[in-house]
Amino acid sequence: MWRYGGAVVRCGAKALVEGLERAGVEVVFGYPGGNVIDIFDCVRTAKFRFVLGRHEQGCVHMADGYARSLGRPGVALVTSGPGLTNTITGLGAANMDGVPLVLVCGQVPLDEMGTDAFQEADTTGLTRAVSKHNFLVKSADEIPETIAQAFYIATHGKPGVVVIDVPRDCQRAQTAAKYPARVSLRAYHPERFASSAQVNRLARLVNAARRPIIYAGGGVIAAEASADVVALAHKAGIPVVTTMMGIGAIDSDDPLSLGMGGIHGEPAACRALADADLVLALGVRFNDRTAAALPRRQWARIVHVDCDASAINRNVQVGFGIVADVKDLLATVDSRIRPASHDEWVTRCRQTGDEGDCDACATSPKRGYVVPKAVVDSVCRAAKGSLVAVTDVGQHQLWAARYLRHVRPRCFVSSGGMGAMGFGIPAAIGAAIARPDMKVVAFVGDGGAQMTAEELVVAAELGLPVVFVVFANGTLGLVRQMQKADFGSRFFATTMRSPDFVKLAGAYGVRGVRVSDQARLDAAVAKAIRTRAPVLLEVCIDPETLA
Amino acid sequence: MKTKKAIEETYRLNCFVENRPGVLARIVGLISGRGYNIQTLHVGPTEDGTVSRMRIDVLGTARVVDQIILQLRNCVNVIEVTCRKR
Repeated sequence: MWRYGGAVVRCGAKALVEGLERAGVEVVFGYPGGNVIDIFDCVRTAKFRFVLGRHEQGCVHMADGYARSLGRPGVALVTSGPGLTNTITGLGAANMDGVPLVLVCGQVPLDEMGTDAFQEADTTGLTRAVSKHNFLVKSADEIPETIAQAFYIATHGKPGVVVIDVPRDCQRAQTAAKYPARVSLRAYHPERFASSAQVNRLARLVNAARRPIIYAGGGVIAAEASADVVALAHKAGIPVVTTMMGIGAIDSDDPLSLGMGGIHGEPAACRALADADLVLALGVRFNDRTAAALPRRQWARIVHVDCDASAINRNVQVGFGIVADVKDLLATVDSRIRPASHDEWVTRCRQTGDEGDCDACATSPKRGYVVPKAVVDSVCRAAKGSLVAVTDVGQHQLWAARYLRHVRPRCFVSSGGMGAMGFGIPAAIGAAIARPDMKVVAFVGDGGAQMTAEELVVAAELGLPVVFVVFANGTLGLVRQMQKADFGSRFFATTMRSPDFVKLAGAYGVRGVRVSDQARLDAAVAKAIRTRAPVLLEVCIDPETLA
Repeated sequence: MKTKKAIEETYRLNCFVENRPGVLARIVGLISGRGYNIQTLHVGPTEDGTVSRMRIDVLGTARVVDQIILQLRNCVNVIEVTCRKR
């Protein structure tokens, strides 16, 4: 590094690492390779922490778990070709749930691009469908500004994934380019504000409603608007239903909390959505799992608030759409909302009807098994309100979503939109790095656990006190459940031999404990959560238990 | 209430975009990714060399085309989108 005419000249790789430092990055998750080796040489002396994953998908899920639980962009660094292709599932999972994430990847030198060079892949082409935006750097001089723009795009408007593809010759070339003081993008201005007419109409609707419901989604968590939503609910006497991504927006013990809606949600929450005369949908995108539980006749009664204009009227034709930041809008409308209470309606919403048999919450398990709800309850008790619950995808995810209590905002981390199996273990590692003040517990099934089990060794290497709870039933339970319900119990490819997870954990340096007796569950969970090192609990679940 | 069957018609989208590599691919991918065919596509420069103009004809229902426009406007390199029925 030297000075030339007042500017600091350094190689592109160094400029990139400086850019990440200037962007406020504290942790980078990644995996090295030939076309990022110059960047790694600079990361060696960087101000941020570097965490080495064991597979690029794991690295991106770690950055995702870090971002979701902390509310700051996650960053991953991988090599070209296979390094990049391995990240696709991770990028899709983050982007679909609106998680701010920046992926930097190496690329073959510019003059070799398009020649089928060793470890070459069309990064911008491959990542286009799983990112909000991507950049191909064409010269070292572009690097600082590209980094700044990437973080701006990832965090402004609806958050998402931004990929920066950096050819190796650009990493090695010298540049004097500086990190910009501010970012201005000619065509991207995502800030949207409600008009005063919209605010007035919203206030009139809320004030006139007799049976209002708030439906809070992941956008409420992302906008840090949970407290504002709860304040509105209490001021105007409105019960609150959340989506899966909205879990944590309101405390489960709040008298106005009805739990999760949607096809896998609480029957009471779904009934409330169906009976309401006003559905105030905040930061939700009405994906199919949510919309299917909402009768069509209710669509006209929905006021849909989201920062993404394209989310409104995408899946349901709503009565009134407002494109705005949820937090801004609630602050603006607050003075026009009249204090009210709808006691009769709230009581009606909270009534539990005929919920049917629930074998996931049975009180006495079959011999040799534990009951899923007992596991979730036990974790909640042991973590005493300082829990970050990370889930994989499947039955255990639905059990966690329904039975977890006292989850704070950003403390339920789950791949909702993409439903990416393999998310749980690495995302929990990312969350544990982001939130050392909290107890991080990963709920995973035996299918998803085998997709990214290699990352367990990272938890052991870093001594992260994560509790990995494997709900082991030897089946791919949620798909098996669909075969039972919709395919006349013609089970196929959903029963499998699982490894001995206790031994597997041991091989990775993680203490493993099997729990097959419900009487021993609480003690095992409490001890695992107290341990200042990673622990894997294999809990034996009856494969016939449905979610 | 009887729902009217949605009619497919041809719409012409006029887009002004930043003249950068990859922008055309992103826009075309956004439309084809939803399973809709582009009937005609013209791309050319404007007086401002940093801005390109795209004229895209797509066959779809009003609802789908509205969605496409909103998603195009979300694109980082798209400056302006207008639409009219052909």
